[in-house]
Amino acid sequence: MCGIIGCVGRDGETLDVLVHGLSKLEYRGYDSAGVALSGDRVEICKQSGKIEELRDALESRTLGGAAGIGHTRWSTHGPPTDENAHPHLDCTGGVAVVHNGIIENYQALRDELVSAGHTFKSDTDTEVVPHLIEDALADGADNEAAVREAIARLEGSYAVAVVLSGDDTIYAARNDSPLVLGLDDDAYYLASDVPAFRDFTDQVIYLADGEFATLRADGWTVSDVDGEVVDKDVDTVDWDPEDTGKSGYDHFMLKEIHEQPRAIRQCLRGRVDEMSAQVDIGDLGGLSPTGVQFVACGTSYHAALYGAQLLRNAGIPAQTFLGSEYATSPPPIGDALVVGVTQSGETADTLSALREARKRGARTLAVTNTVGSTAARECDHALYIRAGPEIGVAASKTFASQLAALNLFALGTTRVDGKRDIISALRDLPSNIQAILDESKAEAVAEEYVDSDAYFFIGRGHQYPVALEGALKMKEITYKHAEGFAAGELKHGPLALVTQDTPVFAVVTGDGEMARKTIGNVKEVEARDAPVVAVTDGQSDVERYADAVLEVPETHPQAAAVLANVQLQLVSYHVADKLGRSIDKPRNLAKSVTVE
Amino acid sequence: MSIDTAVVLAAGEGTRLRPLTRNRPKPMLPAANRPIMEYVFDALVAADVRRIVVVVGYKRDRVQDHFGPTYDGVDLKYVTQHKQLGSGHALLQARHAVDGPALVVNGDRVIDANIVRDVCDEFERSGEPTMAVLERPETSQYGAVVLHEGDVSQLVEKPDTDEYRLINAGVYAFEPSIFAAIDDTERADGELALTDTIGDLMDAGRVRGVRTEGMWVDATYPWDLLTVADEVLARGHVDEPQREGQVWVDPAANVHETAILQGPVVVGPDCEVGPGAVVGANTALGQNVTVGANATVRNSVLDTDTRVESGSTLIDAVTGQDVTLGAGTVVPGGPADVRIGQTVFEDRRLGAVVADRVVAEGDASFSPGTLVGPGAHIGTSVRASGTVVGGAEVVR
Repeated sequence: MCGIIGCVGRDGETLDVLVHGLSKLEYRGYDSAGVALSGDRVEICKQSGKIEELRDALESRTLGGAAGIGHTRWSTHGPPTDENAHPHLDCTGGVAVVHNGIIENYQALRDELVSAGHTFKSDTDTEVVPHLIEDALADGADNEAAVREAIARLEGSYAVAVVLSGDDTIYAARNDSPLVLGLDDDAYYLASDVPAFRDFTDQVIYLADGEFATLRADGWTVSDVDGEVVDKDVDTVDWDPEDTGKSGYDHFMLKEIHEQPRAIRQCLRGRVDEMSAQVDIGDLGGLSPTGVQFVACGTSYHAALYGAQLLRNAGIPAQTFLGSEYATSPPPIGDALVVGVTQSGETADTLSALREARKRGARTLAVTNTVGSTAARECDHALYIRAGPEIGVAASKTFASQLAALNLFALGTTRVDGKRDIISALRDLPSNIQAILDESKAEAVAEEYVDSDAYFFIGRGHQYPVALEGALKMKEITYKHAEGFAAGELKHGPLALVTQDTPVFAVVTGDGEMARKTIGNVKEVEARDAPVVAVTDGQSDVERYADAVLEVPETHPQAAAVLANVQLQLVSYHVADKLGRSIDKPRNLAKSVTVE
Repeated sequence: MSIDTAVVLAAGEGTRLRPLTRNRPKPMLPAANRPIMEYVFDALVAADVRRIVVVVGYKRDRVQDHFGPTYDGVDLKYVTQHKQLGSGHALLQARHAVDGPALVVNGDRVIDANIVRDVCDEFERSGEPTMAVLERPETSQYGAVVLHEGDVSQLVEKPDTDEYRLINAGVYAFEPSIFAAIDDTERADGELALTDTIGDLMDAGRVRGVRTEGMWVDATYPWDLLTVADEVLARGHVDEPQREGQVWVDPAANVHETAILQGPVVVGPDCEVGPGAVVGANTALGQNVTVGANATVRNSVLDTDTRVESGSTLIDAVTGQDVTLGAGTVVPGGPADVRIGQTVFEDRRLGAVVADRVVAEGDASFSPGTLVGPGAHIGTSVRASGTVVGGAEVVR
């Protein structure tokens, strides 16, 4: 879980390019950061803390070099200290390495290296790599061969970049961790993710597992494990570089909450036809699965719970599994299609679940925001949610887009009734979300309840995943205790937690049996003096039992889930803002979790 | 030196365009089917501006959400005017975002690049504060200008005589010293008007006025959006690809093969136009507009997410966003006498203005000149006329 950047061919600007790239990658992790530049010798600077602190440390230094690598770290092995920050060096100081992933056999390698006389300075798994390279160099290997030999010894997941003294080259390799090259006229870049160098070029090459890249000012090559040159396609990315700017908002998260109408329009564009009640999702339309197993983590898991409901509505057996659980104890799959929902397409737990499914012969589909991501490439099919880049660590617009895309999936692959009404409701989503953004009273609700002990969220049916997501958002960005429950479950235990200092957010839309039963649950908490905040479309009389009301426009029950979630996003955002939390980069969290 | 920075003033509501400005400021209202301010940005980008500072205020989220951090590769920086205390005060908010000479442009009027280039050229030649000046009949609504050998010799706000023939186009170029000049300007009724500062500059030295031509279209009242659309369509200033003649249709629009599009007409992305519908002439459909089967829409501007159900007839209509007009809605069209406050505007081309999120059930009709406020609910078979206030529930 980290971010890597590398650059050759920018001469005097190498350091600036690296620091700029790191700032764009901070969302991947930010407990420490560092850079290494190679000229006649390798110079490094690294620092625990955010990129700003590295920037401060660099003020008093003059680092130069034609090739450079940088890293922003999110701790897996060892606490965030200066020593544990990347890059890591060998004993001679001539080899610098940055790494993303987990080297599973590092303990054995480390023991071997220590007994051979190597001195380790950090607690990280990464540090074995420069020492392995040092050994290979000592045995007479040239630089590239030495790096290859070292990488051949590694087990586990890695994206690695290496610079060596007296060599204007970056050597890089990947296995199970993302790494992408950027090509400009006379400069080359590599990074964990495109935004790191998107300000300089839009021409990219996605490395595959097992591939090895060398970048020099005068050219690049990609080769396979055996050193055979691989012909790679050059892709063009169409994201605006400044899409990573906050455009006048205090936080990316608020900007991204406000981008939801646009994100949904992009998700639906060219895919829905209300007149003829049809959706067009390309080759996926031919799938007609007889069963579906969803695998996902975090916010995407909540989207997947909702997706499974949609398929079950259409009579298709569907279940949802946490990626990490599925990977280690997979259920019988039968003929089911296995659908991984992952915003980044790099979520290690989800990838590992999908690989497990493929190993068992299942067909797989990735529902993702990231073209060229590992999930998109490894699965048989991909459905892109087209939300655009999301920088806030806590997912907001991508959840809405996942729900919209899962509706397209259900409409396009099943024979569910009432397709025209659903499509109509999907087309109304952007304006309905806009109505909420224009008129939400979430900030006042946040003001009222910012000092509460805990927050509970309840909902039924399609609003159950929304209740879970509302609680997750509250946890992630406010650091407050929050739990989401199926409304009917409250009385089976959690009710004991409810007091007058624990507001309960009840999502009640429609006026059917589900709404009536949830209102019954609302009365249970009201009787315990807990404040009730109703998120409602006003069709039921839940307002009578509520201390505060957050309104959503009336719509189809499936679309109502997307709308209710917007109100809950805003409440969490404003509570976090009033508490002065680091909203875009909550403590201990990173955007895309690329370790298991 | 050439000017690479522009300050766009977009903080004011534009109250005379109510009820359409309930949820967004005037620069975000549609000129045909794109926000007015997109035209302003297009003109600036075409004139080689590389950095735009946008002064936002009233409903600023809507501006920021629409444009995001860049426009056509040009960086946008937003600064906020928290209270709308005049155009000079608005410009002052951009002080720390500007470090060299800058263009200053109103964000709420459609302009083209010629006007911007003319101002730049004159400013670069003379080095003096410069404003664009246009010949227009309606001087009484704007700042009237008198030029003497290229210098502005008089600047009169909204004169009540019609002896003038030139107006201030609201496009300027200044050195950063303009900020100090605004500081020194006396407030009038608590507000700082940029034109007062320009008056001071005229007294202290020279202000150049450059005569220019080119597209310059303003909407003062809601029905003016119809003429703005006419002008934009007549010039073909739309984003969508041309299908034929003056018919522009986004590739992501879905027009039934039996529907008829009569140019000039523009159909935005995600629109659906049903079988037998007739759309145009002089009509603009924003994003995701739905026109049901056999509906007729003519001389109208239907903004984003408007739904017109089957069998409706709309003539000279302006709809806001997310308006729903049920089956068989009739807006028979102008001319009409329209009352705004105490003033009656006679003989205006206006069928109806229907603001954001109005829902009309089926078979409603709107007398010529009807203004419907945001969120109003018009029941089945209602005959609406005059002014319907926002949020009202109207039943037969």
